Amino acid sequence: MTIAQNTSTAGVSSAQARRGERTIEQRQRVWGWVFLSPWIIGFLAFTLFPMLASLYFSFTDFRIGEPITFVGLRNWQRLFEDANTVNALGITFRFALISVPIVIGFPLLLATLLNSKVLLAKPIFRVLFYLPYMVPAVSGIFIWQSFLNGQTGWLNRLLRLVGIAEPPNWLFDPRSLTFGLVLIGLWGVGNAMLTMLASMQGVPTELYEAAEVDGATPFTKWLRITLPMISPVILYNLVLSVIGLMQYFIVPYVLSNTTRSNPETNFFNLNLYRTAFQFGEMGFASAQAWFIFIIALVLTIAIFWTSNRWVYYSGEGR
Amino acid sequence: MSRKLLASILIVIVVGALMIAPVAAQGRTVVTWFVGLGTGTNEQQIEIQNQVVADFNASQDEIELVINLAASNQVAADTLSTLIAGGTPPDIVGPVGFSGANAFSGQWLDLQPLVDAAGYDLSQYPESLVGLYQTPEGLLGIPFAVFPSLMFYNADLFDEADLNYPPAEFGAPYVMPDGTEVPWNWDTVAEIAKILAVDANGNDATMDEFDRTAVEQFGFAHQWGSMRADFSTFGGANFYDAETGQVTIPENWRANAEWTWNALWNEGFMPNSTYENSTLFAPTLFASGRTAMARVPLWYTCCIGDLDAAWDIAVVPAYGDGSYAPTDADTFRILESTANPEAAFTVLQYLQGEAALDLVTVYGAFPALPDIQEESIAIKAEQFPSVQNWDIIVPSLAFAVAPNHESDFPNFNRGQQRFADFRTLLYGDTGATINLQEELDKLQADLQAIVDEAN
Repeated sequence: MTIAQNTSTAGVSSAQARRGERTIEQRQRVWGWVFLSPWIIGFLAFTLFPMLASLYFSFTDFRIGEPITFVGLRNWQRLFEDANTVNALGITFRFALISVPIVIGFPLLLATLLNSKVLLAKPIFRVLFYLPYMVPAVSGIFIWQSFLNGQTGWLNRLLRLVGIAEPPNWLFDPRSLTFGLVLIGLWGVGNAMLTMLASMQGVPTELYEAAEVDGATPFTKWLRITLPMISPVILYNLVLSVIGLMQYFIVPYVLSNTTRSNPETNFFNLNLYRTAFQFGEMGFASAQAWFIFIIALVLTIAIFWTSNRWVYYSGEGR
Repeated sequence: MSRKLLASILIVIVVGALMIAPVAAQGRTVVTWFVGLGTGTNEQQIEIQNQVVADFNASQDEIELVINLAASNQVAADTLSTLIAGGTPPDIVGPVGFSGANAFSGQWLDLQPLVDAAGYDLSQYPESLVGLYQTPEGLLGIPFAVFPSLMFYNADLFDEADLNYPPAEFGAPYVMPDGTEVPWNWDTVAEIAKILAVDANGNDATMDEFDRTAVEQFGFAHQWGSMRADFSTFGGANFYDAETGQVTIPENWRANAEWTWNALWNEGFMPNSTYENSTLFAPTLFASGRTAMARVPLWYTCCIGDLDAAWDIAVVPAYGDGSYAPTDADTFRILESTANPEAAFTVLQYLQGEAALDLVTVYGAFPALPDIQEESIAIKAEQFPSVQNWDIIVPSLAFAVAPNHESDFPNFNRGQQRFADFRTLLYGDTGATINLQEELDKLQADLQAIVDEAN
């Protein structure tokens, strides 16, 4: 190819190049950046720069209305010394240990039910199970708060009707608070259920047929075929659940505002929020924010690291 | 990109910026008034406050008053913190009580120079009330509204139980059903509250059959109380000694905790947290018509709502040799960070002067300014025709607890949270089984650690 042809292929004649005009490709690239720029500006202004600022604040004694002073690692050290913070971390992890299996297992069971051949009117059930996910969070919490009230809530009235004389005080008794919060959390499993159902419906039917020929029971088929085939979606929901738990805030915040600061609802993010906006200790709150981010990151990396052993991607050699 | 296109984009950006430029371009000094830290966020109050703003702006052409309403009282402190941290603080904050103000301790403007420059007459207010705002940092507020604690009672429930009403005079006895006269104190409150607490089967709390798990009417509640206010009904106390740095929960406060625990978990005539949050007692305990007596400051008249019962007010009961009426006091304050202190003070004078009667009325307050007290009571009497005992308000001020239950102490916000946690423990489900004295000792130790952290 001649130099002239090469130039022609690039779309710029030597005359054009001398005038400083751009090629079509270059113009398209510029327009691409122009259309991306609002998002980029927003990301820089509202995400990246604030993150970097909070990282800096975590090394300072920044209190509302007072000058900022550098204090080194004092805030980070205080994470392990402050009783409220340690307690809040314990409450969060305790809740996570109980709720994560439930918020993964329950939508899995619902998806299995909706994927079943014997269930009639599946579209209706699909809508009904997904609908609560669309209810605004705060409204849902108020409804649940009323439903779970120990004296006049509908759940306890039903339990008393069936003979349970002293049902749990779901949102006030520390022994049952976690389960009360899990119940509230189950309101939002619609999304996980839908993704798992979609994944189940993508499992090749010949696998089930082959298993039937070998005499597999329905449970064996579910355990040995369905679960491995949808394991990537389970991984996806697991990661989202763990991250969501590290961000768990709106439920305890609404409950604590209406149930007079129940210490048992002092989850890590609520404690962080109080540290920042109630106690005005922005520096310490920034350290807390980065701490929970690091924990979430470590947990997510650990989940991905273990996924080699239990997640099956079709097309892989395993 | 062509130069024409670049120029076009720049023009669009500049025009857009000009379109959203602030109204200050008109030449007025803008003063922002932040509302929500105390009262001021219900619908009726918002309407009156907006009218006050419109009237002020129409009355002169040098200052543009802009109101900034918090979404609710619960988020007001957070909102104000964000505004201050973000470099866009308001000029005036209020109405705000001592608790709300102490949460932003060190950020209020000393008004004395402005008072002196404007020749503002502080002698129109009772000296004791002006003294509430004299601090080492200067004069941080001018008395605006006072809210003494009163005993709100549901007259219909008393009639139903064939009980005499609580007394409307300090020192007057209470007449029991059998005609005997007894002192009007917290023991008497417990006695009659037991008669007034009724379960779903119609049994009252004096009966063995009384079912504490199915109560439908309570005898008494500290409506919307805070722990320090509840404690102070048994007398005020300097729980923090500024000279020695020591924290002590005094005996009278411990006695109050015992009385409360007994009322909640033994006799059952006071609602615990579960009942407080139940729909049966919506919108609030007293306003639900299912609580016979409630000790609450006067501002509660803002929120009685649609209570469909005859109700009245009585004096607070005595403890020991004295009567103690925890008193809230709200005013408007100016933030030290204001860029326009003189303009802000001009607005403040308007709020404390011409707009005062409208504002105190809608806040359910009693004006600190004696000149408008009579008119304020007349308005209240018209609003609430069942109430006869408005004349107990002024005498109740004389029994205001000192030190105030919202007085400042080191690391105030954390300390208040600790008091709130104690109240939750007492009223929550675990309250029934706690070792009260141990928890009070723990409260004392934790408060000591909190103040030590700040010192």
